Amino acid sequence: MATQAVKEYLHDLEAELRDLPRSRRQELLGEIHEHIDSALADAPARDEAEVRNVLDRLGDPADIAEEARQRFGLPKVKSGALEIATLILLPVGGLILPVIGWFIGVILLWSSRVWTTGEKLAGTLLFPGGLLLPAGLGFVAVGGQSCSGVIQNADQFITGPAQEIVMSCDGPSTLYTVGAVILMAVLVIVPIAMAVVLARRMRARTAPV
Amino acid sequence: MYRMVPSKAGQAARDGGLIAQLRRGALEYCVLALLERGERYGFDLVRELAEVDGMVTTEGTIYPMLARLRRDGVVETTWRESPAGPPRRYYKLTPSGGQALKEFRQEWIRFRDGVDRVVSTS
Repeated sequence: MATQAVKEYLHDLEAELRDLPRSRRQELLGEIHEHIDSALADAPARDEAEVRNVLDRLGDPADIAEEARQRFGLPKVKSGALEIATLILLPVGGLILPVIGWFIGVILLWSSRVWTTGEKLAGTLLFPGGLLLPAGLGFVAVGGQSCSGVIQNADQFITGPAQEIVMSCDGPSTLYTVGAVILMAVLVIVPIAMAVVLARRMRARTAPV
Repeated sequence: MYRMVPSKAGQAARDGGLIAQLRRGALEYCVLALLERGERYGFDLVRELAEVDGMVTTEGTIYPMLARLRRDGVVETTWRESPAGPPRRYYKLTPSGGQALKEFRQEWIRFRDGVDRVVSTS
């Protein structure tokens, strides 16, 4: 739909302008919005092709944001050691240095200018601790299997070494096992996927140092 | 020993070096000159600039420049009812903008003529 494309464009622009002061960002968004409205009001047919045309002429939101940074003397957004450390510490920091490693990753994530607030929130909440939580749960699951030994023949007349002890490990039910495997998979995959998404967003909008 | 490498200089100019810088700087004064002729909506201003050959590649990048010019006090905006739709920003030149344009005009003509005399092939 035509208005959907405009909405997406303005949304992208807002994300690209994230490091500008709020008032500047609102001002630019307002003006570009007005521009689109004016261009479409002039257009004979407000169809999808016309909307694409107007947005193409406006240009890439990243270019507009870069121009704004230059005009207002803000430094270029670059990715560097801080971002690389963030992408490593968020998933595995908690394993290297329990809890603290992940926490440092979160601090680095929020101090970077590369990611939007939404991405930082997602990076923090999916999942706290990174891979520490599934690693811990896996450890508990293996160590916590309950085994019980039953002495059979105990009520019978004992003649010689007839007594035998049957060890039965009381494994969890199948349903429980399947649930646990799925949960583990989610807990392992989501932090890794999150780091991959953050890395891609970073690469899409920054020039490497 | 220093040797000029023409291909490098040419490349720098194409990659947003000298020519891009010249264009960026001159574009600001083109805005002031257009506004000297009459007040305009932002959209009309941008479309007129886009029609100047080689001056503007993407229309959207003009808005950060307009925001900067407004902050510098050389242009100002007021809200005006538009023929169709909601009120829109209307741009006009301030007295200090007029003064800046006057000074640029003198410098530009001197500069342009000087460069032309040396660089021009005809």
